Amino acid sequence: MEKVFAAFLGVVLMYLISPMATQAQQCNLSLKGQVLNADTGLPMAYAGIMIKETQQGVESDEHGHYQLANLCPGEYTLVCSHIGCDHAEQKLSLRSSSILDISLRENAVTLQNVVVSGTVGKKASTQTASELSGTELDSGKGLGLGESLKRLSGVSSLNTGATISKPIIQGMHSNRILIFNNGVRLEGQQWGSEHAPEVDPFNSERITVVKGAGSVRYGSDALGGIILMEPKPMRHNPGIGGELHLQSFTNGRSGIASGMLEGKLAKLPLGVRVQGTLKRAGNLQTPNYYLNNTGASESNFSWSTKYQPEQWVLETFYSRFYTQLGILSDSHIGNLTDLNNAIERGRPLQDGSFSYDLGRPLQRVLHETFRVKIAHSFSENDKLTFQVSRQFNRRQEYDAHRRYNVLPQSLDAPNIQFEITTWAAELNWDHRLGRNWQGAFGSTAQKQINTVDRGALIPGFDNLDAGIYWTERHFKLGNPWEFEFGARYDIRRLHIGEQGTTIIDQNRDFKNWSATLGLLYTLNENLKLRFNTGSAWRSPLVNELFSSGVHHGSASYEQGNPDLQPERGFNNSLTLEGAHTQKWSFALTAYLNLVNNYIYLQPRAAPELTIRGAFPAFDYQQADARIMGLDWTGDLELYKNLHLESKISLINGWNQELHDFLIYMPPFRFDQGLKLNFNAQKHPDHPSFVRLGVLAVMRQQQAPATDYASPPPGYMRVDAEFFHTFEWGKQHLELGISVFNLFNTSYREYLNRFRYFTAEPGRNLGFRLKVPFNFSPK
Amino acid sequence: MNRISCKWSTLTILGLAVFGCEKDNNGGPDNEQELITTVALKFVGGGQTLTFTAEDKDGDGGQAPIIQPIALKVNTDYTLSVTFSDASKTPAIDITTEVKTESNDHLVCFENTGAMNAPLQQDKDAAGKTLGLESTLKTGASGTGTLKVTLKHMPTKSSANACATGETDAEATFNVTVK
Repeated sequence: MEKVFAAFLGVVLMYLISPMATQAQQCNLSLKGQVLNADTGLPMAYAGIMIKETQQGVESDEHGHYQLANLCPGEYTLVCSHIGCDHAEQKLSLRSSSILDISLRENAVTLQNVVVSGTVGKKASTQTASELSGTELDSGKGLGLGESLKRLSGVSSLNTGATISKPIIQGMHSNRILIFNNGVRLEGQQWGSEHAPEVDPFNSERITVVKGAGSVRYGSDALGGIILMEPKPMRHNPGIGGELHLQSFTNGRSGIASGMLEGKLAKLPLGVRVQGTLKRAGNLQTPNYYLNNTGASESNFSWSTKYQPEQWVLETFYSRFYTQLGILSDSHIGNLTDLNNAIERGRPLQDGSFSYDLGRPLQRVLHETFRVKIAHSFSENDKLTFQVSRQFNRRQEYDAHRRYNVLPQSLDAPNIQFEITTWAAELNWDHRLGRNWQGAFGSTAQKQINTVDRGALIPGFDNLDAGIYWTERHFKLGNPWEFEFGARYDIRRLHIGEQGTTIIDQNRDFKNWSATLGLLYTLNENLKLRFNTGSAWRSPLVNELFSSGVHHGSASYEQGNPDLQPERGFNNSLTLEGAHTQKWSFALTAYLNLVNNYIYLQPRAAPELTIRGAFPAFDYQQADARIMGLDWTGDLELYKNLHLESKISLINGWNQELHDFLIYMPPFRFDQGLKLNFNAQKHPDHPSFVRLGVLAVMRQQQAPATDYASPPPGYMRVDAEFFHTFEWGKQHLELGISVFNLFNTSYREYLNRFRYFTAEPGRNLGFRLKVPFNFSPK
Repeated sequence: MNRISCKWSTLTILGLAVFGCEKDNNGGPDNEQELITTVALKFVGGGQTLTFTAEDKDGDGGQAPIIQPIALKVNTDYTLSVTFSDASKTPAIDITTEVKTESNDHLVCFENTGAMNAPLQQDKDAAGKTLGLESTLKTGASGTGTLKVTLKHMPTKSSANACATGETDAEATFNVTVK
């Protein structure tokens, strides 16, 4: 008899073969099997296997085999851990001697080269990381990456209206955060605060946020953190499978359909997958009025193949992301007078009405990624990987009105168009030294060039980067200490071409090191302490150096500073985390980030005078900054299946030279919820639940003195969610209903750049259905 | 026109890949800015034709706009015509025609202070609402003041204060002397 356990997300595949002998109530049962790498299928040596309840433990041998003997029948929790892998926990009801094979996934956060997905239980990495997967991720996918990640403590979003949202990790955003989509560093145009990440969340099964300047493995620039978006691993068993997502939201009357279909051949170790998403949304509505021209559309497509003969893996991946985003018409302003008029109104001039039409102002963004990866495993412990990727990004911005005196044929041409092509290559060697050391050594190179540059806000440029890194991690079964360290060195040459019709033709060279040290101390089976310290740097970008002109979305004149020096961040964090089976779990992180030469926009005393009137002017400047805060997340079982969930984040950003606060720091957030699980026996992976959450956000008292308008008052919002897993005939289905802003409260969010012009959207009822399917040949 | 010729070669000594690219650095039509550089006011009255301009030839940033002071006679009837052009090109491009063609989407607004009297807009757009390219003005006693001229795009003309809506395409404040 064969039973498939815990396979729903492909997280941990386990096969339980039983019974061999039935001898009840005698403690002579055995449990044996093999520990396998879920990605490569290769056996994993020296993995620790422990039964939590009895503290019996063994280590797998060099072929991954393990055996536990003298077990009594009963309910157990099996914990499996391996250096570089996530600790996996599996509930087990032992009635007879059994064989249990355990598939472990490599940990995305640590040194491993492969960014693969899936986890059960707790991370063993020394990094402070939080992740979003399963139901939590599914429910936010239709709202985009920035909105989805808000569910994590310490992550908020910087919005431009209701359609553009980008993540903020511990107070930092845009180019201080790296986004990895399926192993490729996203090279879009993240320099603008109104540029949303160019990724399709439906392509990800797990999103991990690494906070702080931790992982040197992924490159410099990541002063704030790293977002790893990982797709579902390709299927292991021959056959055809996939999943279909259907989502709809009442506010904006949006409809989203996303499907994934994959197949694996029985004869050849070849798997193929295609995936696509279509989205259409209309004008959003606040409690009192519609927001004209706030619709959006998206059409994304991707395919991937994986050919995996023995010891080798050859993967190809292509994705195309295309979105059109409407921008609230009333936010588009001409000059300071218009801005003051708009702020004085505080709301759109007209009540607006519902429409799916997308008019000007408008953004059209296309992002293509193509990746080829070849990996060869010399043994389970030694793997060489080579990856080449090409990305193409085209960003088109259409102002509220067409340009004057243009040729008739270019009447509908965008006011700003910017195209960037990025080639990147990476070679990595994962290795293991003895039983207790594991590490990676490798190098990266990247060439970036902008090929079209319409509008002279920032100049044309090209970029050449190269880096080399080395990380090691020490882990010993039974030793409460675990540590890792890493270092990297990067060089960058930025060449600036022409700006408008002015030829600049200058080079900027930057080179510097990054380093990190992490410690993990296991106090007891429930408590762990992590400490991380690291230093990273970020070279100034072309917009910070050379932008010159009026930014219409914000009615501001921005002047770059060609003399900017790189930022250097020193990041320290201490996390205490605990978990006690289903009873309680928590993580409390305190962090202190010092950024020398922090680049920011400093308002100029006198506005810049143009023929369109006066514009508030900003200069790019540098100063030493300090960002510190606390993140709390907790879960407590109040009664049987009733849980209290709690998230709190507190942050302070300070400009040490101006003695003033930093702008756009998230205000104090206090998020509490009650969650009632049911049906947990039937669907242990995705138990049904009802949740009621109350979010309280305080007024941002720690805002800089210079802003167009003072921060909006605090607010309280109630959200509710219902999720149910059920069977319809033989088909497994997941249904979710969510209500955002249940009481249709009118409020403004400090982190929304359109808070001057409009309130946040009102009540939003969402429906979603997930249909996984699977056809395996018998 | 930006054209790239990009050849890439990969040198893999422990992953050190080097790509060679060449890029054409000539600025071309793609980089041209379209803008209004000049607001011109033509006053006809008292037997004279007077023209005053506000001009910013180098666009945003750089040199601030140069705004000529307006000098008018006391107690005189004037007709006032406002024109817009792009003088950064040679020859200069007239934008007034385009404003007239899309008259429903444009509005010329005036704000006056001191001894400057308010111009009265005379012309109408295609929908019969105020446009403001042509106005009349009667000056009063001698003194000084200012006149702010604004070209609004996509204003809500039905609004009570239409000049506080829409997006500003051009704005200039002239100093005025009436004597």
